[in-house]
Amino acid sequence: MAVAAPGQLNLDESPSWGSRSVDCFEKLEQIGEGTYGQVYMAKEIRTGEIVALKKIRMDNEREGFPITAIREIKILKKLHHENVIQLKEIVTSPGPEKDEQGKPDGNKYKGSIYMVFEYMDHDLTGLADRPGMRFAVPQIKCYMKQLLTGLHYCHVNQVLHRDIKGSNLLIDNEGNLKLADFGLARSFSSDHNGNLTNRVITLWYRPPELLLGTTKYGPAVDMWSVGCIFAELLHGKPILPGKNEPEQLTKIFELCGTPDEINWPGVTKLPWYNNFKPSRPMKRRVREVFKHFDRHALDLLERMLTLDPNQRISAKDALDAEYFWNDPLPCDPKSLPKYESSHEFQTKKKRQQQRQQEETAKRQKLQHPQPHARLPPIQQTGQVHPQIRPGPSQPIHNAPPPQMAAAPGHHYGKPRGPSGGPSRYPQGGNPSGGYNPNRGGQGGGYTSGPYPPPGRGPPPYAGSGMPGTGGPRGGSAAGYGVGAPNYPQGGPYGASNQGRGPNMMGGSRNQQQYGGWQ
Amino acid sequence: MAANFWASSHCKQLLDPDDVDVLQPLDRERGLTQEEFKLIKIHMTNHIWKLAQQVKVRQRVIATAVTYFRRVYTRKSMTEYDPRLVAPTCLYLASKAEESTVQARLLVFYIKKMCSDEKYRFEIKDILEMEMKLLEALDYYLIVFHPYRALLQLLQDAGMTDLTHFAWGLVNDTYKMDLILIYPPYMIALACIYIASVLKDKETTAWFEELRVDMNVVKNISIEILDFYDYYKGDTCKGEPVKGIPEERINAALNKLATK
Repeated sequence: MAVAAPGQLNLDESPSWGSRSVDCFEKLEQIGEGTYGQVYMAKEIRTGEIVALKKIRMDNEREGFPITAIREIKILKKLHHENVIQLKEIVTSPGPEKDEQGKPDGNKYKGSIYMVFEYMDHDLTGLADRPGMRFAVPQIKCYMKQLLTGLHYCHVNQVLHRDIKGSNLLIDNEGNLKLADFGLARSFSSDHNGNLTNRVITLWYRPPELLLGTTKYGPAVDMWSVGCIFAELLHGKPILPGKNEPEQLTKIFELCGTPDEINWPGVTKLPWYNNFKPSRPMKRRVREVFKHFDRHALDLLERMLTLDPNQRISAKDALDAEYFWNDPLPCDPKSLPKYESSHEFQTKKKRQQQRQQEETAKRQKLQHPQPHARLPPIQQTGQVHPQIRPGPSQPIHNAPPPQMAAAPGHHYGKPRGPSGGPSRYPQGGNPSGGYNPNRGGQGGGYTSGPYPPPGRGPPPYAGSGMPGTGGPRGGSAAGYGVGAPNYPQGGPYGASNQGRGPNMMGGSRNQQQYGGWQ
Repeated sequence: MAANFWASSHCKQLLDPDDVDVLQPLDRERGLTQEEFKLIKIHMTNHIWKLAQQVKVRQRVIATAVTYFRRVYTRKSMTEYDPRLVAPTCLYLASKAEESTVQARLLVFYIKKMCSDEKYRFEIKDILEMEMKLLEALDYYLIVFHPYRALLQLLQDAGMTDLTHFAWGLVNDTYKMDLILIYPPYMIALACIYIASVLKDKETTAWFEELRVDMNVVKNISIEILDFYDYYKGDTCKGEPVKGIPEERINAALNKLATK
């Protein structure tokens, strides 16, 4: 942040310690909105640099600064990589702010806090869903390579992302891909054996071990998600669109075969294995279903979509896969076409217009064209749609809506996936009906259940789940053994963990379609 | 949390000894002396420690809280940031940053149980408000490394695990000083091992030589620790009672700040 060297005067208008004011930025327009908070595209007044401002919402917080924001800040402050979104700084606004509608924003603690990120033009899902969009193979390789490079960096630094999906992979007009939204991420340590929550990762990208209830897992969970994205890019649409957890597992088994002690040693010991035990064995069909993929792509995909997390390929090994070293090679990001920027919030307006058009069309009893479906990639290079971005001075949202009367192609248009959030995130206050096998038929929601919503609330196991916790087992020096490492985690604040989770999350994850800026 | 201390914000923020323990101008105007400044910090470290004992958090959380506390006062005055409020708020924030959240209302409850003095008692809203100011004062750098893990690894390596309890206690006491703001945690661990081994007549010269660390730094830290014991405490190693700091002195010093 703005810190002058020792002995020097701080020439910035900003204080040398503490954060700058949000007034250093001019908000240009809102580009995202979630329960987590608003995201704005903004310009730093002094330099003219375009950034993204993510507001940390403070209302509804009985416990002050949200722990999810603390996690995200802690993690982002330690990650510095070209394929990981850069947290530039944190700025505050000194007084109570009004939101767009002029209402006070409900923040009891004066001021607001914003995370300042580098600005990115797209997210991968949004880009892939553009009408007529086809990625060329070198382009897919280029994105995959960057995704794996960024993820490898996270894993080396002992960070699990835990929400890898297209809308969290941001892409700029230089073709750079960056991992974003570390709101579910957390540190892990390979030597600790603590428990982590299994309520993470968007359903379609969630690996079988989490669906089977494991609370001990590692980087392999992210690699499953990468496999899903990889196949999605090649296939042209999501490959495992389950509506709820049981269906998600069924879809996985139908594609990858059923797990047993031979292909996945230990699987029968997983907490919910017996509840989800497949009724009949199914064989693996990955090669059959995706036979149109080229050989190297298929080899790599097979190793990513491996049921047993211990046998699943790591990010590092994936980068060494033949796929990336055979023709056509991954292209240079800079050679990729530039696309007109589109963010969910901006496209929402277009979408509304489209919907109106559709309504009109319906009334006129006009026949609809088929909804746009994602197209498989072009197999040769050089045929990418040359969509030239309008000049920077032209506000993007003024661009006319795409002249396709079809249903919105953007995934933002209609949340891709089960309608409404609940089935993706059933515990966000909308029980999807007794999914959790261990809770039997007790309906009435996950909010009071033993499971926190996906990752947002501190997991009930938090204490023992952290690396570097505790000290020497068996206590410490006489008189200093405060909070001895053996302190049971269900202690006086155990209840708070459970109680707080739902309120903090409160279905914020239901708004997944909003993408990585949240 | 970062895997690597050298790449961490903690490492980059290590301070020069001259920049730590410096009285802020505002506090000096109020007539606070250097000595009183030190005493308040020790006293409030103990306060955090006692409070933590009540709410039962891991040692790591306490160490982080004390580090936040000391870091704040390298930049902010006690006049503006009442140490009696900053201390519990540091514990509150550290509990979040170290993934073992303590509810604000629990802290408030235990403070009231522990302290009869009105000036130590705060409401939830005070803590939540101070938390925001604290985050800003810390510049949102929340990751802190501690000597504990290094201590265990080093003792293991030296084959002196029998010194663990003694050295661990010494490390705990280093938080009553500003060492954690100045030196890399493993150097503090080494100094504590050095003191422990000397007092327990362990031969460690060869082991230290093999480590190829700057023994001057290790010895300087050790001397600082021993000076601290000489000054503020009885020699616990010889079984003398802890002298402690008279409450009147602390109160007199805090009254100069007259914040609440």
